[in-house]
Amino acid sequence: MSFASLPPAVQSLIMGSAVLGAIVGLLAYVTLLERKFAARLQSRIGPYRVGPRGLLQPIADGVKLLLKEDVMPDSADRPVFKLAPVVFMIPCLLLFGVIPFAPGIGVADLDNGILIFLAISSLEIVGLFMAGWGSNNKYALLSAMRAVNQIISYDLPFIMTALVPVMLAGSLRLSEIATAQAGLWFIAYPVIGQIAFVFFIITAVAAENRVPFDILEAESELVAGFRVEYSGMKFAIIQLAEYAHVLGTSFLGALLFLGAWAGPGPVWLGPVWFLLKALAVFLLLTWVRWSFVRIRVDQILRVSWKLMLPASLLLLLATAATIVWRTPHA
Amino acid sequence: MHDRKKGVLAEAWTIGKAVGQAMRITFINFFRKPVTVHYPTVSRPFPNRFRGLLALTYDKETGEENCIGCRLCEFICPPAVIKVEMLKGEKRNYAKFFSLELYACEFCELCVQVCPTDAIIMMKSFDMATADRREMLLDKDRLHAIGLQYEPSWATGNLLRDMQQPPKKESAKPDAGSGKPDAGSAPA
Amino acid sequence: MPDVRALDYAGSERLTMNMGPQHPSAHGVFRAILTLEGETVVGVDAVIGYLHRCHEKLAETLAYVQYPTIASKTDYVAAMSSELAYVMAAERIGSFEVPKRAQYLRVLMGELQRIASHCLWLGTWCMDMGGALGGGATIFLYCIRERELVLDLFESLVGARLLYGFHQVGGVRYDLPEGWTAECRKTVALIEQRLGEYEGMLEDNPFFMMRTKGVGVISTALAQDVGISGPLLRGSGVEWDLRRSQPYSSYEDFAFTVPVETGGDCYARYKVRMVEFRQSIRIIRQILDGLPAGPISSRPGVKSLAQVKVPKGEAYARVEGPRGEVGCFLVSDGSNKPYRMKWRGASFSNLAVLPHILPGCSVADVVAIMGSVDPVFGEVDR
Repeated sequence: MSFASLPPAVQSLIMGSAVLGAIVGLLAYVTLLERKFAARLQSRIGPYRVGPRGLLQPIADGVKLLLKEDVMPDSADRPVFKLAPVVFMIPCLLLFGVIPFAPGIGVADLDNGILIFLAISSLEIVGLFMAGWGSNNKYALLSAMRAVNQIISYDLPFIMTALVPVMLAGSLRLSEIATAQAGLWFIAYPVIGQIAFVFFIITAVAAENRVPFDILEAESELVAGFRVEYSGMKFAIIQLAEYAHVLGTSFLGALLFLGAWAGPGPVWLGPVWFLLKALAVFLLLTWVRWSFVRIRVDQILRVSWKLMLPASLLLLLATAATIVWRTPHA
Repeated sequence: MHDRKKGVLAEAWTIGKAVGQAMRITFINFFRKPVTVHYPTVSRPFPNRFRGLLALTYDKETGEENCIGCRLCEFICPPAVIKVEMLKGEKRNYAKFFSLELYACEFCELCVQVCPTDAIIMMKSFDMATADRREMLLDKDRLHAIGLQYEPSWATGNLLRDMQQPPKKESAKPDAGSGKPDAGSAPA
Repeated sequence: MPDVRALDYAGSERLTMNMGPQHPSAHGVFRAILTLEGETVVGVDAVIGYLHRCHEKLAETLAYVQYPTIASKTDYVAAMSSELAYVMAAERIGSFEVPKRAQYLRVLMGELQRIASHCLWLGTWCMDMGGALGGGATIFLYCIRERELVLDLFESLVGARLLYGFHQVGGVRYDLPEGWTAECRKTVALIEQRLGEYEGMLEDNPFFMMRTKGVGVISTALAQDVGISGPLLRGSGVEWDLRRSQPYSSYEDFAFTVPVETGGDCYARYKVRMVEFRQSIRIIRQILDGLPAGPISSRPGVKSLAQVKVPKGEAYARVEGPRGEVGCFLVSDGSNKPYRMKWRGASFSNLAVLPHILPGCSVADVVAIMGSVDPVFGEVDR
């Protein structure tokens, strides 16, 4: 009774649960990785007292948040307030459904995988705005409005930049984009690959509300923004959802530019390489986060519409031109 | 049109360089040794002149209490946390009652400075976190116990006054005392 | 002051937002009631007094030998300048002489304190702008790491890290221990090198420039009208530094430049303070090279309460602290306690410029401006 002989529904169920479990476990430890990495950048040690070298820290955080009192403002819009973290979390976890972790392993390797990925990742705005609205708080509403504005503005150049590897690979299917890099990783593609990767990093940072574009949760001005009224497990869900989104985008980046599972060694080592590359992209995003001050929201939007959008359009045109020039005409 | 494009590229190059520079510095710091001191497993070396907990001392040779109950420390203390009562003896006086409210103490070292017999000194420790403030109301026995428990700082009344003394005749050495800075202040 | 009502647009709603006394970027306890229109600030109502501890009344009950130990609590970030102002005022009334070595030591401590204070300023300002979870925190931790080195120097000299009690009427209380000058030279050299790193992180950084250029412009005329001092004044084009114009405590013996910038915005003030860092290091090196031997006090060490009696009179002593002019006005009636002490806090007068420059900027700029004004509320509220 092998795996392939099970009915496809059961196959998907098993695969989905496995991926979900693995990803949630990874998420918890990715928070620890970020904290320790950031600490080393700042000449200090991150968490190290809980468990050996701090390895039990995420569990301690989880337990703490579970035990915290769940405070709900009196005049909050109750159903919206309660549903918002869940609506925020679902698209962020759904992203991992469309990523193939190895040839053949993955929940769903869709024909237009990357399109679905980009569409799902924009859905988190709904959850975000619900959180801001449901809190009945000026700070939260201000931040949620800024967030919607910013994410929509940066999704456009994000999509344009993600289309560059699609054009280079000639397919929307994520596994085909990965296998098309067998010879040359797209990041190593002369000029266009590097520029596309840089744009990808910039737009990814902005679309995920990370410093230097994290004005919407600027604690020094808006004190946690749209999350300000959340506490306890709801807060934990929002935090994890944000990290899930960042991790999902890191996986996408590793797949689009760094060749996904390509690496020396036997085939079963592929997912390990994929994970390592995704973590490398994640650490790059973290490194950017901990090196810069943030800019104002009108400056963020100006960068998006006046700089990133034209630049990514030009990049797309240049990619198209390069492909036509390099392909021998029939 | 051609000029504008060049300007944009040059600007993009400057921005890229500056961004790279900032990230380079964070990267350099990644490889520096962290400056964290693993307190409380590791204790930071205290400098010689550290102004820590207060204590009363005994005489080194005779073992008698140094305090003569003169109340100079009580009068000089800015927040008035010291209370002393003198007990008159035959050869010398003692302090019948000596209490110090450590929770209100400023740690200014003025009481140490005025003491004529070097009775009250400060120790190289600050470890007195407690859940009950009343434990920080130190009586005479407690102060003597602290004096025996920790390492004393360099400063005593006579040493401080000697350091501040304007010169009478010839060489008054400005570098009085053996207050060496601690090794822990060396940069990482 | 611009008329708040005149800026009302038809149909636009005004929001009153409280940047309350508990706020991650309030630099202490400061309440700013902002009237917002969308993102733009149209009015600000500053409320202070949350840190009032009756210093001026306290000085009337404490003798001249006792008060310098708590004078540092007004501007606790630049404790040495605060103590110096009080002690200089008392010495001025009584015409007490201060030995040369003591004067040089005072300058040495003052300049080291300036470095430590500016480290804190840079760290907290970048943290306000960059967030406690982001690049701001990185620069904050670097600056604090350097500040700790300076505090270690103070600790091996005085025994305390933040509130010293170093000055006394007639001189200073502590002399340099063995090995301190070598340690000081090493520390100062390290800080100079790390300064280069901070400038590398911030200079030309597009994000930093966007946040600070053109933000919070104080014109030269406004600067002179309102009565600000220190780097705010020098960043707006007015060349006024008490160490140069009215030298005290042997400052005329040292060579240093006074930085002046004409921009008047946050970036100009940043540049002024960065130059002040290096000039402080220059002065420190000159002192370490030429420290005279001699007594550290013209009056013997404190032995009793009635030791320092200042004759009848009054005097005002001013010191160029890291934030501006710190002044102490003492009225003496001939006893061992002052009759009246009035403290001129640099930050108190500097805050007066806020209602003039905040209207018209956005909420994010409020934080950047507050950081570049660099108030310490111990001085404001006393």
